[in-house]
Amino acid sequence: MNKLMNAKEYEESLRKLKLKVYMFGKRVENVVDDPIIRPSMKAVAATYEYAHKPEHEDIMTATSHLTGKKINRFTHIHQSVEDLVKKSKMGRLLGSQTACCFQRCVGMDALNALSITTHAIDEKYGTEYNKRFLKYLGYVQENDLTCDGAMTDPKGNRSLSPAKQFDPDLFMHVVEERPDGIVVSGAKAHQTGAVNSHEIIVMPTITMREEDRDYAISFALPSDAEGITYIMGRQSCDTRKLEGMTFDRGNMFYGGHEALVVFDKVFVPWERVFMYKEYDFSTMLVEHFAAYHRQSYACKVGVGDVLIGAAQTIAEYNGAERASHVKDKIIEMNHLNETLFCGCIACAAEGHREPGGTYQNDLLLANVHKQNVTRFPYEIARIAQDIAGGLMVTCPSAADLASPEVGKWVEKYYRTRDDVPTEHRLRILRLIENITMGTAAVGYLTESMHGAGSPQAQRIMIARLVNMKHKQKAAKELCGIEKGDQVS
Amino acid sequence: MRDRKGRPGKLKAGIKYCGGCRPEFDRVAVVKELREALGEAIEMVRMDDEEADFILVVTGCKTACVDVESLPLKAKKYISSLSDARRVMEELANKTKT
Ligand SMILES: Cc1cc2nc3c(=O)[nH]c(=O)nc-3n(C[C@H](O)[C@H](O)[C@H](O)COP(=O)(O)OP(=O)(O)OC[C@H]3O[C@@H](n4cnc5c(N)ncnc54)[C@H](O)[C@@H]3O)c2cc1C
Ligand code: SF4
Repeated sequence: MNKLMNAKEYEESLRKLKLKVYMFGKRVENVVDDPIIRPSMKAVAATYEYAHKPEHEDIMTATSHLTGKKINRFTHIHQSVEDLVKKSKMGRLLGSQTACCFQRCVGMDALNALSITTHAIDEKYGTEYNKRFLKYLGYVQENDLTCDGAMTDPKGNRSLSPAKQFDPDLFMHVVEERPDGIVVSGAKAHQTGAVNSHEIIVMPTITMREEDRDYAISFALPSDAEGITYIMGRQSCDTRKLEGMTFDRGNMFYGGHEALVVFDKVFVPWERVFMYKEYDFSTMLVEHFAAYHRQSYACKVGVGDVLIGAAQTIAEYNGAERASHVKDKIIEMNHLNETLFCGCIACAAEGHREPGGTYQNDLLLANVHKQNVTRFPYEIARIAQDIAGGLMVTCPSAADLASPEVGKWVEKYYRTRDDVPTEHRLRILRLIENITMGTAAVGYLTESMHGAGSPQAQRIMIARLVNMKHKQKAAKELCGIEKGDQVS
Repeated sequence: MRDRKGRPGKLKAGIKYCGGCRPEFDRVAVVKELREALGEAIEMVRMDDEEADFILVVTGCKTACVDVESLPLKAKKYISSLSDARRVMEELANKTKT
């Protein structure tokens, strides 16, 4: 029976995991209730809860091509262009509802990339990776699981290939082959939502050559498999979450997280291995995953919606909303944000069917979209900070506002209008701070820069994918260098 | 007023929303308003309820990206803007009066 978990059931399912998590140098015994991690769990929980809301289920759910049953879209293999478009819309929706990284897209992208690549490897080598993968997919769909998509290795010296690193563990690799499976060692860095995941899906991070065969591996494991350790990443302003539910958090409900995931001689049974030394398919897996994941940055449009809403609100609270330059800056924010939306919709709308039946978004347009994502959120954030004014970074704490001694001064001197409580002004400023330089800036800015590949990775793809000859031919024909079939 | 099966009584409307990625109006609030305005004369039921007289398809914008073909009932009323909502409300109010 397929189950479509709700937020509560998801939370309960996480409590059953026996994860080995470290933060601030100490083992975290209760991951789900940890005050720093919990908002990120809540953001993933929203991906479950929204699937049950009649006003959102149309984009939050899909029909499984395996069972014909209704499933959460995050476990779906895209079966049409419409599916791809709905994926972008889902990203925007959830971004606008959580204002942070809701973490579940990377696993969905890994599943889709594997569905294409396992099929292609089987076609060439007569292997049965796709059969294994589909069995695994059925398990993920049936149990409505969250999967961490683990691609990025620590990578050591960037100028050296995996096999040439001074420490072989700097890229995930096979250390032992057994009759029942393989043993792997290495790590995956920057893993989004790692400790909120039931499963971890590992993929190679770069193109592998023959000498790197031992590194050309892909597999999936339960997140609490023996030998896996999570070391939580810090976020700017993270310890504000230890101060209780004060508005200094900015976002009162949600957040994201990343972790370094260490695999210390971890056993993987054969039925969960989806690529084993077929180094010639590493590029394919990386590129398909990257294209899907670059589309997933549709979420930043949703976060942009919140930031624009916050900027308009603070302009009104400050009494500056009618100034022409403020109006124009809000228009510019919307222009940039909707331009991002154009990219993620376009790459989906121009998607195509791959041989196994999975729909892939347009690689060139996905790369163009992500390239814009490496820039526009920074400009939107800059304008939001411009409109917000300096108080965003100098305002006293919520505790000062509540203080019997100095609260009256904060209240008096930071009041702008008699119909807007000072607390409301400080709350909206804290939200802008959160998104542009606090915990959520990890997702809105630096993840926009490096997540799904740094800017240069997209530029290399753009250079490779554009049909330059076609452009040159048109130019040469129209100026008469070459003869074409123009209307004479 | 008579229902789909010719019986006197309430109109039964099944609701189908779009996913609401960038709605131009508050879809849920509009349905609530409609329900309040029509009071006892209308009942909102599940979309696949056999008793439903029609399906109210509520989409946040004119893209209306909902697969209406797969909906269980042929009879549909569409709301994809506030003016659509006003029109549908008037139409249903007239219908429930008679
Ligand atoms: C918030 C966040 C969330 C993330 N989530 C995930 C996740 O869930 N799963 C996952 O697998 N990954 C995730 N990533 C990782 C992301 O894909 C990487 O950050 C990205 O690929 C860049 O790698 P890097 O951080 O190691 O930077 P580096 O590789 O060190 O890049 C730094 C700079 O050096 C340049 N550079 C690097 N190598 C070379 C080279 N050989 N030649 C020329 N220039 C080079 C780059 O272009 C860049 O400008 C996440 C990253 C962030 C920041
Ligand atoms: S109809 Fe409009 S608001 Fe609704 S999901 Fe489609 S595009 Fe988004």
